[in-house]
Amino acid sequence: MEINDKNPVEKDELTGDKLLSGHEYDNIRELDNRLPKWWVWLFIITIIYAVIYLFVFDVIKIAPHQETEYTNEMAAAGSAAPSPQAMVFDTTMMPLADQAALDAGKAIWDKNCIVCHKALGQGLVGPNLTDNFAIHGCRYFDLLTVIANGVPEKGMISWKTQLTKDQILQVTSFTMTLKGTNPPDPKAPQGDPCK
Amino acid sequence: MENQTFYYDNKTVKLFAYATLFWGVVGMVVGLLLSLQFIWPQLSFGIPYTTFGRIRPIHTNAVIFAFVGNGMFMGIYYSLQRLCKARMFSDILSKINFWGWQLIIVAAALTFAFGFTTGKEYAELEWPIDLLVAVVWIVFGWNMIGTIIKRRTRHIYVAIWFYLATFITVAVLHVANSIEIPITLFKSYIVYAGVQDALVQWWYGHNAVAFFLTTPFLGLMYYYLPKAANRPIYSYRLSIVHFWALIFLYIWAGPHHLIYSALPNWTQSLGVVFSVMLIAPSWGGMVNGLLTLRGAWDKVREDPVLKFMVVAVTAYGMSTFEGPMMSTKTVNAISHFTDWTVGHAHIGALGWNGFLVFAVLYWLIPRIFQTNLYSKKLANTHFWIGTLGIVFYAVPLYWGAITQFLMWKEFTPEGFLKYPNFLETVTQLKPMYAARSIGGALYITGIVLGIYNLILTIRGGNFLAEEAASAPALVAVSGKRASGEGAHRWLERRPIQFSIVALIAILIGGIIEIVPLYLVKTNIPSIASVKPYTPLELQGRDIYVREGCYTCHSQQVRPFRSETERYGQYAKAGEYVYDHPFQWGSKRNGPDLSREGVVSGKQYKPNSWHYNHMLNPQKLNAQSIMPVYKWLIADDLDISTTPRKIRVMQMLGVPYPAGFDLTANDDLMRQAELISADLKSQGIDCAPNKEIIAMIAYLQRLGVDIHSAGLSAASVNPVK
Repeated sequence: MEINDKNPVEKDELTGDKLLSGHEYDNIRELDNRLPKWWVWLFIITIIYAVIYLFVFDVIKIAPHQETEYTNEMAAAGSAAPSPQAMVFDTTMMPLADQAALDAGKAIWDKNCIVCHKALGQGLVGPNLTDNFAIHGCRYFDLLTVIANGVPEKGMISWKTQLTKDQILQVTSFTMTLKGTNPPDPKAPQGDPCK
Repeated sequence: MENQTFYYDNKTVKLFAYATLFWGVVGMVVGLLLSLQFIWPQLSFGIPYTTFGRIRPIHTNAVIFAFVGNGMFMGIYYSLQRLCKARMFSDILSKINFWGWQLIIVAAALTFAFGFTTGKEYAELEWPIDLLVAVVWIVFGWNMIGTIIKRRTRHIYVAIWFYLATFITVAVLHVANSIEIPITLFKSYIVYAGVQDALVQWWYGHNAVAFFLTTPFLGLMYYYLPKAANRPIYSYRLSIVHFWALIFLYIWAGPHHLIYSALPNWTQSLGVVFSVMLIAPSWGGMVNGLLTLRGAWDKVREDPVLKFMVVAVTAYGMSTFEGPMMSTKTVNAISHFTDWTVGHAHIGALGWNGFLVFAVLYWLIPRIFQTNLYSKKLANTHFWIGTLGIVFYAVPLYWGAITQFLMWKEFTPEGFLKYPNFLETVTQLKPMYAARSIGGALYITGIVLGIYNLILTIRGGNFLAEEAASAPALVAVSGKRASGEGAHRWLERRPIQFSIVALIAILIGGIIEIVPLYLVKTNIPSIASVKPYTPLELQGRDIYVREGCYTCHSQQVRPFRSETERYGQYAKAGEYVYDHPFQWGSKRNGPDLSREGVVSGKQYKPNSWHYNHMLNPQKLNAQSIMPVYKWLIADDLDISTTPRKIRVMQMLGVPYPAGFDLTANDDLMRQAELISADLKSQGIDCAPNKEIIAMIAYLQRLGVDIHSAGLSAASVNPVK
């Protein structure tokens, strides 16, 4: 094999393409084909894309980076976002009694509450909700307040940023129905006895 | 000129082939077990050594470095000798390369099972094994370059360019990403912290894909495909252009693993654009491969070797188009943290690497055993089952990824998250996970058929350990460029110069991206309220790393309404400055944990919840796929390492007061007793010296400092 590869031109039998002389490696030959045009254009287009992208995002900075995107997204959501202040309860409220509301309450319960209070409300990390004791009061109003605002220092998170007022009414009403159900494996009573 | 006779070493090739098959099965069976744990978490068996977080690195490392790695060595040791018309440089080095690599694999599997890990994806090996990897890798390079230097051919073929780039770049990546300070024999702290660590890690991680799974396999394609098809390479020029473009551009693209993270925006932009520019250079390899088959497509119909190659090259083309798409912000918002990435990775690993490895095996084993393949029909069956397996593996994950993304994002008309409980979005995917397992099982079935076929081939053959060949010695010519000699043609007969140019090409991107993060302080704005971890939290964090929690949980909230609504404020660069290593994670099979300790946050759980959750997650929610971690409750925390850990952290710039190492354990016990007392008040008896106490301390610290910095997110982190 010579450095300058000066051998007569050979052609590939099947395709008629020109073989490069001197390019033979363990019987592998190489053809002298040009770069496919579409491939070259693909490469050029991606390079142009890159230049424009960097120019727009990082030189003249007219396209939004992630912080701006976030601000815009939050602004757009502004009116849709819930306002926790609207969550006001009063002591005269009574638990919902219709089955549809209680079923909706159970669905919320199953999704969100059982990780601490267990499936039947017998308590594990959170208190037993089926016995006749309560840490923060026994009334419907007390339970609504606890669920809406939480007791963060005890590990009960506030739900008013995750549930609507209607949902809180539903799940609280459902929770009230658990009282006196005597499920198996209950957690020992906590708090004060209810009257 | 007189012909010299010499012998090719086929024995090393054979050993690598056997190791490829063996580790392939091991790595994939572990993968299948992992996939089943998504459906039945009890398949963790309640012991640390088989729990997801510890065996996931075994699976990824076994497939990448053991299966694909041995396959790569097999292919290179066979082709390099023939392309250089020379036996390997040194039989002893070949032996060290082979046995050293197997030793590394065994050591990796054992240490991962025991929880010795750096917690950096695909670079989990602890420091003694990192050193061993470096030594064996240098032995491989030495052996290869020695062979190239004593070659009997004037020029080095394109396959060898790719082999050289592989050797050089993997060496650079491995060393740069493994600079760690030992604590004990199997525990170290990486010198980089937080955002810097993330950038170095994904510069490594991305380019491990590029230079361990891609360039060597392009080299193999350039040798075995024209050999098997008996056709000339389509275009020498395309080889040159796509080779240099590929290695130069690849190294810049690492930040695409960190889109929408706390990484500075300019670095993210580079990650995006360099990934997009990679489409053509990557496709250059596919095009050159497929066009080489022009005139030989009738052979593809007949020959299983070519079938495997065509699907491999096509899978390569698919994933190198998909990759750049996933690097754009729009697609990344969907694909990142979901199983899309896992699907993408498996198109590459099962399709490109796995099928090319088997193409090479089916081609090479009959040759070194001087026989024909036992059964073409069986190889064809393997081909179809394997192809079906890939489809069944990937499609459900893509489907699942989009499902989960939509569920994460959905808001109710009232403005609440539709699925506030993360678990719902996981439970929804269970059928997809099951389908994925079937795909994986199909693929493994194909491999078993392949192994059976190869065993019978080997039995019917006669191994040729020393294959005689002859070629004239290379006559020395001037090193200078001859008149009329193209610059690249000149470089092809100067392998050392070639390697130096390649080294320069791959260093540019890394240096431009990584160095400014060290030199320019504004890249990582500090946050005054972010303080070092307490000794107990630090020990807890090391348990978090040990158990591989990052394999399912991220610590990186993206700046999306759906994420800040779910977790709390989005991630800031300044909150990770004491994290050695960073633990941002790359997928979410469980929720993000970086705001876990914020008492007023939506993710908050009391100490007793964490205790019960680690003891038995399914007791808290029957649907949960979290594994049991009951040994954290049984095992005592090893506090003998605390002083050394504090000193190393101080060395790395973490501002603990002078002499703190001596009192650190007192501080640790004080905090542990508080947590123990709190558990006691909840009716849980847990001594303060248990590992779970440290783990709880760490989890309850997550997000606390950044939260106390206030919620005016934008003002904290004015990253440009």
